Amino acid sequence: MLGSVTRPPLIIVFLAVVIIALGMTAGAVMSQLRPETERYAQARIRANAAAHGLVGSSEYDDEVIARTVFAAEAGLSFLHTHAMGLGPIVLLTATIAANTVPGRRRRRLLYGLLAVGALFPCGYLVYALAVLEAGRDAGVSLTESRVLTPLGSAMILGLLVLAVLLAGGRRPPPTP
Amino acid sequence: MTARPETWRLPAMWVLLVGVLLIASAEVGGAAMARFKLELARGVRAAMLARPDAHGLVGVRDVDEQIIDEAIVKFDAGLRLFHLHGEGMGVVILVATMVAATLVHSAALRRVIIGFVTVGGAGYPAGYLVWSALIPYYGIERGKTVAEWLIWIPFGGAAIIAMWLLTAVVAARMVGR
Repeated sequence: MLGSVTRPPLIIVFLAVVIIALGMTAGAVMSQLRPETERYAQARIRANAAAHGLVGSSEYDDEVIARTVFAAEAGLSFLHTHAMGLGPIVLLTATIAANTVPGRRRRRLLYGLLAVGALFPCGYLVYALAVLEAGRDAGVSLTESRVLTPLGSAMILGLLVLAVLLAGGRRPPPTP
Repeated sequence: MTARPETWRLPAMWVLLVGVLLIASAEVGGAAMARFKLELARGVRAAMLARPDAHGLVGVRDVDEQIIDEAIVKFDAGLRLFHLHGEGMGVVILVATMVAATLVHSAALRRVIIGFVTVGGAGYPAGYLVWSALIPYYGIERGKTVAEWLIWIPFGGAAIIAMWLLTAVVAARMVGR
């Protein structure tokens, strides 16, 4: 047992673990299934030709397709890196909250913000799919405004609230 | 030892040691990359020039320099990826094994998850070192194939399987099984 360090609720632990697992899997997909990923991306772009502004000229279309495939692969890559980083951060910050933040309501608020923020890396999976389905610029813009910004803001807000509460300096004994 | 279910439990000391050593190795790797960049590049170049057949060097400076430059870039990328993955996986080993030690009740399953995460997580980044080390002797692609089959797939696969097993256990705990 780690002294008497209280763990956060199971839902937070679950989110942290599943995000790390997703991040690892995304890394494996990126390296081991790269040709298949590329073929899938190309097929989806051709299926959504209008959204991507394909004109039927291979010289122009190939350039558009290559840039969009690159953006989709970048989405997977960001999922990998952000998930591997954010998973442990969520678990550790939630543990700090569980052990230092007084008041069940405040802790719940923090857990809620961290839980929503933990989903931030999944936004990059949405990003990868959105650029294929809605077009590169529209997909990026849509994902940034509707998914990444709200999820990222929740995480930032959670960390700021935790910092403010820590700066308050009250450290009650951990409560179950 | 009986722990309250609400408190964290640490994994065995060897697991913590592996996690910490991996992070330390990654730090040293990053420092060495920066400090010995020139020496390493010279070493790669010399090793490649001693094995022209392995790299398709033809003796024409314009052609050979391009091949050597690309190999040096990949060699450097391998070291950089070792640095990044070592730091990341070291933390993942510490966090995931702590979760497993706390929440996985079955001793056998706990041993499997902790063993796979630790060994897989520590072995995987080493694959990038192996790749870098093989590049001057066997070339970029052959080096990558060896690292892939000897290290990345088995060790990375073990770590991924363990993380999904852990996810399933935590999910089962959440629904009260």
